[in-house]
Amino acid sequence: MISAPKVRTHTTIRLHRRRAALFGSIVTAVGLLVNLPAFAQTITVWSGYPEMAPFYEHVAQGLKAKNPNLTVKVEAIALREHEKRIALGLTSGSAGATVIELQGSTVRRYLENDLLPKAPDAVATFVKNPANFGEFFSSNASYNGTVYGIPLFRGQAALFYNTDMFKAAGLSAPPKTVDEYTQYAEKLTKRDATGNATVSGWSLRLSGGGQGIAEKFWINLFQFGGSVLEQTPDGKWRANYANEAGRATLKQYLQNVHVLKTVTPEMPADAEALERGQTAMFIRESWVIGDIASKAPNLNYATAPLPRGSIALPTNLYVKANGDAAKAAWEFALATNEPENLVWLLKNVGWLPNRTGVDFSSVTKAAPAFAAFVDYPKDYKFFTLPSIAPIEEVLTRLAAHLTNAFRNSALAKDDAAIDAFLKTAADETNQILRREDLLGK
Amino acid sequence: MQRKKWIFATLAILPTLVIFAYVRIYPIGDTLRLSLHKWDILSKNKPFIGLANFEELMGDPLFLDAFVNTTVIAFGVLFITIPLALVLAALIHHRTRSHFVGFYETSIFIPHIVSLVPAAMAWKWIFDARLGPLNALLTTFGFSPKAWLFDPVLSVICIIVLCSWQALGYAVMIYLVGFKSLPTSLYEAAKLDGASGPQSFWRISVPLLKPITLYVSVVTLVSGFNVYAQAFVLASDSQGAPGRQVRVLVLDMLENSFRNYRVGYAASEAVVLLAIVLVLTLIQFRLLREKGRA
Repeated sequence: MISAPKVRTHTTIRLHRRRAALFGSIVTAVGLLVNLPAFAQTITVWSGYPEMAPFYEHVAQGLKAKNPNLTVKVEAIALREHEKRIALGLTSGSAGATVIELQGSTVRRYLENDLLPKAPDAVATFVKNPANFGEFFSSNASYNGTVYGIPLFRGQAALFYNTDMFKAAGLSAPPKTVDEYTQYAEKLTKRDATGNATVSGWSLRLSGGGQGIAEKFWINLFQFGGSVLEQTPDGKWRANYANEAGRATLKQYLQNVHVLKTVTPEMPADAEALERGQTAMFIRESWVIGDIASKAPNLNYATAPLPRGSIALPTNLYVKANGDAAKAAWEFALATNEPENLVWLLKNVGWLPNRTGVDFSSVTKAAPAFAAFVDYPKDYKFFTLPSIAPIEEVLTRLAAHLTNAFRNSALAKDDAAIDAFLKTAADETNQILRREDLLGK
Repeated sequence: MQRKKWIFATLAILPTLVIFAYVRIYPIGDTLRLSLHKWDILSKNKPFIGLANFEELMGDPLFLDAFVNTTVIAFGVLFITIPLALVLAALIHHRTRSHFVGFYETSIFIPHIVSLVPAAMAWKWIFDARLGPLNALLTTFGFSPKAWLFDPVLSVICIIVLCSWQALGYAVMIYLVGFKSLPTSLYEAAKLDGASGPQSFWRISVPLLKPITLYVSVVTLVSGFNVYAQAFVLASDSQGAPGRQVRVLVLDMLENSFRNYRVGYAASEAVVLLAIVLVLTLIQFRLLREKGRA
């Protein structure tokens, strides 16, 4: 009877120890869980260019040494789907800590509606420093003088051509004038016994969905001195393609498709066609260099600047996050602009970095195709898409009209019909601008 | 006691009703509301603009193009699917002794359960102007190859073929169920009266299957008007092999919502689509029911 309490006491002590140990474990686990977010950071990168995924992963890998608890999830999808994702993700507020790729021309709506925060002071100082970025790029990442994003890369076009095909056609140099493009296309087109083109002389964007058709048309229009939109003295905009330049541009398309038949809508097109030897030349951005390196490393090709100038479409990084996550996200965005990473970007992906003062010579020397993008003539001109809210609608609707025009063989030899077509399309463009109170006088 | 039962029944069904109202009724109501407003999806302001969106729709060539294409596709699918499904179901039903009946049913139903995007990709290859087996077949028989995915008319036909191929399996299965429920005595009596197989089909099966035809045609027409992914995939602008973008209503709505940031305008398109589908469904109900009674 006496020993019983002793036993109980021992048992009680053991139970207390166990409980204490269990309690301690729970406290530790809870403590770890509570403190976990302070150590681990997860940020998501939304990209509209699947080929950019390895770059962001490379940047994340580089940050591991400095921040081992940082996890970067890269979600790179097709551009049009990416744009939908941003529209839905930012408005629903469920995006989490996100670094977002956006073109300067598209971001305006989001900034007007306070859906993206301004950049921290350190980032703004970095962006505004002329030693890092030219005024064109820093202002493209800003709104009303305030920095919201970090410039990263730009889309800039040049001519890509198959040097073997040029040689076989007796052409020793790339075309230098707009007219030469058509002459070259005719010489470069390969045909079967019935005369149908089997290899296009000049691959043009003639079909598909989205605004790409209108953007490519704008690049060609620019060579003729035209522009889809022009800014008026009152700071607004109006259509500028229902004119001589517009007619010449559309006529060149139609002549190649319907008269000379150097290309047809159903022929393979774009980078894949060049890589497979299905076209002799086409105009595209610098990423094609990286694409060729990975998919057709034995292709003999070269690049050349366009006759008058090129589009320069900057893409910037923006951050949607709060607190520590925001700090980590901005750190990541800044890290993308470290010289080592930018050299990696140019070498492995091919998009042109916007930062100045970085030595890219190791890449440009190894890949001479970059020359057309960096060593262009002194009087070479650039244009970009205006940062106005309805720019996508203007281009998407113009693209729909152009697709129909490209198929219309009756237009090819009828200047009046071309003019009528362009006027109808331009009226619609102006109507969109008027609706948004953006139509200039 | 009766009152208690009624309260219990109401309480039991209430959660379902609430969920249904939230996920079905509310979005429709909100779409109707949005169609009368100007909203860019990002802004907090949604000014009321009355019927302005609908007025603009009537003069919008892209919307009208989408409307015509969608209508042609929906009715094209309907006119191909219903008769073909009825005939196929009859053949399968009356050939049940065949060892291959399972194979017939499976092979017809499989397209309906295959994921839409890979199926559309496969059809894109079939229709390919240069590498597609369809043009290879045409050339073998001396016909000239066609630009299936690029010609304005042929590209619409391609979508009709793809949608019909997918819709057929479901329609056949429903018709097969219908055939199995028909009284065999009628066929036996018809046989005694000297009716041939096709006569029995035309005089007995078709009239008796009218409720099934009503259901299948409503489902086919509604899904035909909602066509989107097929048009999108067949013209997907992946590099190298794009096709002509056949503009359909859902595609136009998505473009207006998320590319042009015009949600109010897209909502007005959705309202028009809703009205069309509603009216057509009512007409189908009326036609088939009246004829059924007669």
